[in-house]
Amino acid sequence: MAASSPPARAGRAQQVAWGLAILVALLYPLPFERSGQIYYETVGFLVLLNAMLGIGWNIIGGWAGQFDFGPSIFFAIGAYTAALLSIHSGWNAWIALVGAVVVAVVICAALTYPVTRLRGHYFAIATVAMWMIAQPIGATWRLINGSQGLFIPVAAGGSFVHGILTMEFPGRGKGLGFYYLSLLLFAATLAGARAIERSKWGFYFRAVRDDQDGAEAIGIDSRLYKVIARCLMAAIFAAGGTLYGFWALAVFPDQVLEVNWNILPMMAAVVGGLGRLWGPVLGAVVLIPISQLMTATLGSGPLAGRGIDLIIYGAVIMLIAGWRPNGLLSLPWAEWAARVRGRAPARSAKS
Amino acid sequence: MAPLLQVERCTKRFGGLVANRDVSLVIEPGEIVGLIGPNGAGKTTLFSCISGSLHPDEGRIVLNGTDISRARPERVCRLGIARTWQVVRSFGRMTVLENVICGALRRSSRVGPARARALELLAFTGLGGKEDVVAAALTLADKKRLEITRALATSPRLLLLDEAMSGLTPFETTAAVELVRRIHAELGLAICVVEHVMEVVMPLSHRVVVLDHGEKLTEGPPAEVARDERVITAYLGDRYRGRA
Repeated sequence: MAASSPPARAGRAQQVAWGLAILVALLYPLPFERSGQIYYETVGFLVLLNAMLGIGWNIIGGWAGQFDFGPSIFFAIGAYTAALLSIHSGWNAWIALVGAVVVAVVICAALTYPVTRLRGHYFAIATVAMWMIAQPIGATWRLINGSQGLFIPVAAGGSFVHGILTMEFPGRGKGLGFYYLSLLLFAATLAGARAIERSKWGFYFRAVRDDQDGAEAIGIDSRLYKVIARCLMAAIFAAGGTLYGFWALAVFPDQVLEVNWNILPMMAAVVGGLGRLWGPVLGAVVLIPISQLMTATLGSGPLAGRGIDLIIYGAVIMLIAGWRPNGLLSLPWAEWAARVRGRAPARSAKS
Repeated sequence: MAPLLQVERCTKRFGGLVANRDVSLVIEPGEIVGLIGPNGAGKTTLFSCISGSLHPDEGRIVLNGTDISRARPERVCRLGIARTWQVVRSFGRMTVLENVICGALRRSSRVGPARARALELLAFTGLGGKEDVVAAALTLADKKRLEITRALATSPRLLLLDEAMSGLTPFETTAAVELVRRIHAELGLAICVVEHVMEVVMPLSHRVVVLDHGEKLTEGPPAEVARDERVITAYLGDRYRGRA
């Protein structure tokens, strides 16, 4: 929400910012494609994927106020469902994505409704428990080939457009293709979340977060709206998991149920600005490149293998969290924008 | 006319403690009923049973012919009862307008009409001009006023006000009493007020119900109740003797 920016005058600045952001997002991978530095395209892919997951997590964690520490189960359900539908039934990746989303939402509703009786920390603990239960299931279930995982075959040949339509890039162009696929899903997620934030659901989620008893007293079924919020998150995680599966061309339990798929989206939301639409986006844009940069620089060479990169990464997160407990979005961006444009700094109410 | 709300021999226990014993109560449409009694008399428990956050162990609560004894709060609200709380329960991180929109969404699930209705009600209750203030930043008086507005936004037939005036300055109290009168006069709701300030309850209520130790001591028009020897002993105290 634009509550912190001074109205009217900020209108044009916002348009310019939007235009620039869209331009950068669209053009970002092109120089790397030319120079063959596919790595940077992958960083972009991971930023967008985590931003998208962060937006999803923000719905349950930021708006509905229920901290979910195990969202990766829906990432895994999405990846596995899409892989199975693709391998065994030969479904197109996009239709498999829809199937994955439906399966994840149904499972999420069934798993979540009983635990919505729990409030606060107990709800959080229940989500961790679900994740812990999911791990041995993922590692042993025959249908999904246990810990050996599933491999997604890629058909040979095909143009770039064909690749976008099938999420299959047998030759060159995979880095570029998955960047744009993630951009597409990210944009759809952002647009959907924006619409939800302004709808009845968005109001009800925040009402349940701020005071559950107060919300029930004005006719809001708090359990129902917690389930809806978590199902929306599950849908987004399942779509992300599908994309990730087709990118990795394989789905392993250790990989899709990895703790980072729980932590990174949450951290992106918290570091960027919990409960604010753009919070997780900003968080992912800041956090993911730092983590990649640390791994690429400190993770190799004489210091390799000592986890120095992770230590510094953790320290950076702690610094941001301590410096801006309300997230990076709470910085006086509007004021800075005004200063850059050479005007007297607009003394907007601090957010 | 059939009564709007009937509480029939309600009993609510918390372990060994009987918070309400055999309490019966009727509220007619468009009536203002005052519910008074000393601390621990069971007033808030009775409110919670009516509004669905607690359920009576024995007895029935009937709203317009529908038994709501076991109904959840959100259903009770849908059936036409809205309540406010002794300890305010505003949505602290949302703005005043957004708080009331949440209530108005009960009647129209589209945000546009809900916003229009919320703005109208905020003007009516005197919170106009504070729409964009974050609820947590309001004074206590305004928070209570906001809670009343949010409750009104659900279009109730019965409004339960739990100490809507406690903790306010005399000036704020006068303004709040004025608001309750206007709500009654212009919206024609039935209102039930729990209140400690006698100067508020007595002139406001058409009828007063007195609870003591979880049981109904007496009920009647304010003037009669204030003369009742038992009520003076249990609650009002000697300074009320001979005043009414």
